[in-house]
Formats: sequence, C-alpha cells, structure tokens
Amino acid sequence: MKYITTIDDKEFLIEIIDDTHVSIDGKIVEVDFESVESQPVFSLIVDGKSYEAYVYQGEEALEVLVKGRLYHSRVEDERERRLRAASGGGVAETGTFHLKAPMPGLVVSISVEEGQEVKKGDVLLILESMKMQNELKSPRDGVVGRIYIAAGDSVEQRKKMMSVE
Amino acid sequence: MFNKVLIANRGEIAVRVLRACRELGIKTVAVYSEADRQAMHVRYATEAYLLGPAPSRESYLKGDKIIEIALKSGAGAIHPGYGFLAENADFAQAVEDAGLEFVGPKPFAISSMGDKAIARKTMMEAGVPVVPGTKGTNRLSDEDLLRLAPEVGFPLLIKATAGGGGKGMREVKNMDEMPSALSSARGEAKSAFGEDNVYLEKLLIGARHIEIQVLADKFGNVIHLNERECSLQRRHQKLLEEAPSPVMDEDLRQRMGEVAVQAAKAVNYESAGTIECLVDSDKNFYFLEMNTRLQVEHPITELVTGVDIVKEQIRIARGRKLSFTQDDIKIKGAAIECRVNAEDPYNNFMPSTGLISHIVLPSGPGVRVDTGVYAGTEITPYYDSMISKLIVWGETRAQAILRMRRALEEYKVVGVRTNIPFHQTMMDSHRFMGGQYDTRFVEEEFDMEEIAEGKETFPDIAAIIATLVKHEQTERAAHIVRRGERDTSNWKWLSRWERLSK
Repeated sequence: MKYITTIDDKEFLIEIIDDTHVSIDGKIVEVDFESVESQPVFSLIVDGKSYEAYVYQGEEALEVLVKGRLYHSRVEDERERRLRAASGGGVAETGTFHLKAPMPGLVVSISVEEGQEVKKGDVLLILESMKMQNELKSPRDGVVGRIYIAAGDSVEQRKKMMSVE
Repeated sequence: MFNKVLIANRGEIAVRVLRACRELGIKTVAVYSEADRQAMHVRYATEAYLLGPAPSRESYLKGDKIIEIALKSGAGAIHPGYGFLAENADFAQAVEDAGLEFVGPKPFAISSMGDKAIARKTMMEAGVPVVPGTKGTNRLSDEDLLRLAPEVGFPLLIKATAGGGGKGMREVKNMDEMPSALSSARGEAKSAFGEDNVYLEKLLIGARHIEIQVLADKFGNVIHLNERECSLQRRHQKLLEEAPSPVMDEDLRQRMGEVAVQAAKAVNYESAGTIECLVDSDKNFYFLEMNTRLQVEHPITELVTGVDIVKEQIRIARGRKLSFTQDDIKIKGAAIECRVNAEDPYNNFMPSTGLISHIVLPSGPGVRVDTGVYAGTEITPYYDSMISKLIVWGETRAQAILRMRRALEEYKVVGVRTNIPFHQTMMDSHRFMGGQYDTRFVEEEFDMEEIAEGKETFPDIAAIIATLVKHEQTERAAHIVRRGERDTSNWKWLSRWERLSK
C-alpha cells in the first residue's frame, strides 16, 4: 500500500511492503512496530534505532509526538490524494483551472453546463472509481469553460475533463 | 498539639501538604468543590467534605464554611496552601478566633505585608532597602501621583497597594501616559481586590527577580534558606525558577539573607515566608514585597538545602522549635523548576481546557513531580492552568539543565496543550544556559522558533509512524466484519447465562 504522508510541510512517499519492511522516498528500511495495549503509545524500531511515539487524533490530522517534538501529519493513500488535488486542495485562486481525472473511472454525472457560473466548493461532476462515487468540486469561483466529457464516459487518469475560468 | 490538619486548597499544593502530613502521621481533612469530587487530594486525604459549586468564591474562598468543617471534623489546624485564602488576614484571624491553629504567620504579619505601601514603610523603617518610589501609607490622589511621578522618574510602575499576580500594575514610560495608566490600574485593582489605592515605583531595567526563603518559629528564631532565581516570567507570572541564582555570590547572598531575616523579624514573622527582591546589574538589591505563605516554587529550595519546608511549617505551628540553625543550612548542587501549564506556547500562551486522556510523568534519578492531575482529569476554566511542577536536582547547574531536558522529553500529556515545548526551548537557549537573563527576557527577547532552528528533528520517523498507524486503522476497519476469536458466539453465551440463573 502506498501513502503520501505530509509532516508539517514536508512530503514523504511511503510504501508499506510487508509487516517488517517500509519504503520511504524509495529507500527500503526494516521496521518493527508495536503498539502498547489500550494506550496511544507506539514503539518503532527502524534499522535498530528505537523511537517511542505518542499518536493521537488532532483536530484535523494525526499528531505524532517523537522525542519531545509534536509533528502534525496528514496521511493519504494515492486515491485520497488525487481526490484532494482534484477537489481543489492547494490550487491557486486565479487562472484557468483544468479539472483532470484524479484516477481512472466512469463519469456518473456532470452537474454543470458550459458557461455556468460556479462558486468555490460547488460539485462539478461525479466520478466513480474503486466502487466509490467521488464528488469533484470547483476549487474557486468562476465560469465553466469547455466540458470535454459526457456522462457515461470512461476516463483515464489525468484526462482533462473540464475547465473553470 | 493538633493531630489532624484541614487543607484549605486543591490541586498539587493540597497533595503536597497531604504528603507532609502523612509522613508526620497526622490525619488530614480535604475540602473540595463540585468540580473536584474525583480529584487526587480528595482521594488522598483521611476525610473529605464538599464545599460547594465549582467557582472559587462559592467553594475554596468560603472561609466560614471551611472553619465550620474544621471544627466539625476535629481538625486542630488549617493549612491554606498558596492562593485562595492563604494571604487573607481576616481568614487567619477567624481561624485563630475559632481556637484553631493557622499554619502560617499571625494575622498582623499578613496584613502589614499585604498592603504594599505599609510593607514598604515597615521595611524602610527596619533599614531594608526598597525600590525607589512614593513613600508613606496615605492614600494618594491622581493629582498627588501626577506631581510625584517626575520625582520618582520614568520609566515607572503604577502598583496597587493590595496587589498581587501582576494585577493593578502598569508600566509608564512618560508623563503623557500617566493619566490613562492610572485610571486603568485603579480599575483593574478595584475589580481584583475591591480596593483601588495605588503607589509609584521606579521601573528597574535589567533587574533580576530574586527571593529569599525564610523560616521562623514561635520563639523568635529566624533563619533563611538562601535564594531562588525567579526572573523568567511572563506578564508577571513566574514560569521557571532555579536555585541557587547564577548571578549570586557569597557576599550578596549573605547580605540579602541577613536583610530577609531582619525583615521577617520586623513583623514578628512565624512560619515560612519569602522576601522578594529586585537585584540590579550592579548587584544592588531592593525589597519588592513579602509573600506571607508557602510559595509555588518552594521545592527547589527543598532540593538544594534538604529542608522539608512544609513539614517545618507544621512543626512550627505545633509550637516546636525550628529543627535547623542558620549554620546547618548549606547549598548542595542546583535545582530547577518548570511550571507545566495547560497553555499553548505556539498560540500566545492561550489557555487550553479539556480532558487529559493520557499522561506520563517523568521519573528517575533527581526528578520530582508535584501534581494533582491524572489521566481522566478535566482541565476546567474555573481554576488556574498549572498542571504540575517539574523539579530536578543536579550536582551542578549544568547537570540540572541536562536532567531537565531529559525529564521534559519523558513528560507526555495527551488531551490538552501544554507549555512543555516552551521549557524545552528555554533549556536549549544559550542565554538561559549562560544564566544571562532578566525579568524582561521571556517577553522581549525569547524567540521559540529562532532557538529551535538547527535542532535535530525526526520528520521521517514521524512520517513512518503516522503512516503505520493510519495503515493499521484502515486494516482494522476492514477486519471488523470478521467474527470474534471466541468460537462460541456471544448469543450462545448469553443464553447459557440466562439458563444458569433460572
């Protein structure tokens, strides 16, 4: 399983290979991970180095306390990541926004028409993928430009579906 | 001689006093508010009685009710701790009038030190140097104060005569600021103490806040237990204290000690008390005020002198002589105390309330934690934000700093934000390590981010852990549909139980 994990502002690409191996940014490390019963306490031994951590659910993210320092983390698998990117996370508020398919899937429905005014957060279309329907939203206020697809279309990953100007 | 003590307080200080009583074989009576029914001091005491609803004025400040409980339970003495009724001369008098022993000084000593203007006058008459400022104990009008201000000189401080905890205090840089500062200081004093009298004091720049602990028995024996360095403050609230002070030399220590003893004698002091002073960069010292009670930071003195101040207080109240003479008092090693508060150092020290779901207190060699909280404690807005005091001892100051760093790293609190990162940063600060700080350091020069820069961090480790935790959560969610490990279903168990009880 692959995850994109953001610690404060730094991104790590982490793949869980098996019970004792994890790759972090392409580097494979041996891990031994234990949780202490009924406590938010975790022990991690990475290549022989021992770390104790407290992990708890913060307001938005998991908070990880390691060696007296608190790290705010966001853990996303690839699908969640693409969804968030598609739903506008981190997209600039100006310029033309091109909605691209965050993953291969089936366009269930299109909620807008060309030339329609949209507000930030309005649903643009629904894309079914991995047996889940995902709402893709506009990252900002604007007017819908070209729509390149129709309901019922199958789309490949990164296929340009519509633009918002 | 009494054998049962009522502790008119809550939190860590109530537990501290309870511990001293236990060691002395004295029975204890706890009092508590509705918010504190589960508190450690209630569970720890021999007896416990409800005072009333959570707000202090309906519970811990109800002197009459506390005295009534003491009489009913057969307690022979009341220990007020610090805060609440500890420096209330009327309460001390009422305790005495009820035929009970007040573990603290006589009402006269409290009242003469409680009014700052009277205290300054008393000290000046006893030959104790005071911070330059207005003299006398008469009520000064705004016109008087405006006339006297240039004589005192700017910058200056407007202080409430009934003051404490930084309330009713204003810094004034020039004459133009005087009128508005006067009215706001008076307003704040009025609402905090019910009394708006103020006086002026010169603001000493670059001064350190150093206090001397004294102990006095009923036979006129007065000793001092040397100094505590308390300059690290924020809004006049102490955050971190150490003993001995890094700027102290033997000559100054002796002079300040003698003056502190003299000050205590001037008001026929008994029990434990503290003379707070300002020490300027030329090592001139000035009397600031006397705290007629046990101080929050008393443990650092206990660690470097070996004297149990609370037990000494009880011993004194029982009419015994001090167990030490001045010659017995030596300083061994160094001690530091960090006040761990439920406040967020990354968000302007905003208080943080909530449930402490998990807590791990540091331990091991040279570490002492005085606390009243436990996993399950709700930090409410009713009382102050201090969760605990972390105190360490080391053979040298450097050893104490290293030990404090270690202890802070062990300390874990889940559920509320704490100022532990502030203390960790302070332990890494070169200014602190060098002992180069004054009362303005925290507010004006201390920068958490600047000091933290370049320190080793572990974002990769945090990333691996966060990912593994999330991965496990996802896996567990996927497995939840799988039946339990037990081969017999819960429904079968239930029906068997029902048949058994038929």
